[in-house]
Amino acid sequence: MSASAVADTSFLIDWARYSRSKLLFKLFDVVFIPESVLAELRSERTLTWVAQGLEEGKLAVLPELPDASREALQLVARSRRLPVRPVDYPEAYCLVVGRELGYAVLTENGGALAVRDYDPNFASVEVLRALDILYRLWKLGHVESFRRELEVYERETKRLYTARDLAKYGDAL
Amino acid sequence: MDERKLREWVERLREAREVRRRFANWEFIKSQPPKLRIALEYFVETGDFRTAAALAGMGADEFVDFARLEAGIPLVY
Repeated sequence: MSASAVADTSFLIDWARYSRSKLLFKLFDVVFIPESVLAELRSERTLTWVAQGLEEGKLAVLPELPDASREALQLVARSRRLPVRPVDYPEAYCLVVGRELGYAVLTENGGALAVRDYDPNFASVEVLRALDILYRLWKLGHVESFRRELEVYERETKRLYTARDLAKYGDAL
Repeated sequence: MDERKLREWVERLREAREVRRRFANWEFIKSQPPKLRIALEYFVETGDFRTAAALAGMGADEFVDFARLEAGIPLVY
């Protein structure tokens, strides 16, 4: 289990709506938020959640690292030549940092999830969606029922996991 | 490049678009002023909240809240 993670915008704007969002810190000592992600947050709910996490030392702002930034831009350009949703800079940056620093990448972004699967350069990166996090919380005994917690999460965030997404946890559901 | 995985993701994202189209509140979307209507329609078709937010002139999280809570567009990928 990674002790640190880096979160992108798609993950944060969902997770901040979840009533038990503090459970994230049962899995990670610190969750980094890249500057490029922080810059695109504007809603009171998300910013309040982020500000509280920063105050408590559970979240930290990740500065732009020149080498990671350069590779992220290359990844963005590469992904735009493919017939699948491209990855944008903030997610690309998370993937590069995740690989280089051994952080789990927290995302719900289809472009980022796809890159992790089809690009061998990122095959080693641990990419987690809220679905995966809830499953791990359940396995560790932090939530009573994976199925019920997932229902709560989907209701509160309007995130919808498809049958294909859920298939890998079929036995637990 | 894993071509098989790439094709699988093309299919996954196509399925996601179908889900967004099916659950979206089209009456609400069609009633919006052009800037917002076009942004919401773009989001339904692509799932790209960042560009959709820019089209709407909103922050990324503001747009996602608007899309999921007001326009009934589920977040899939």
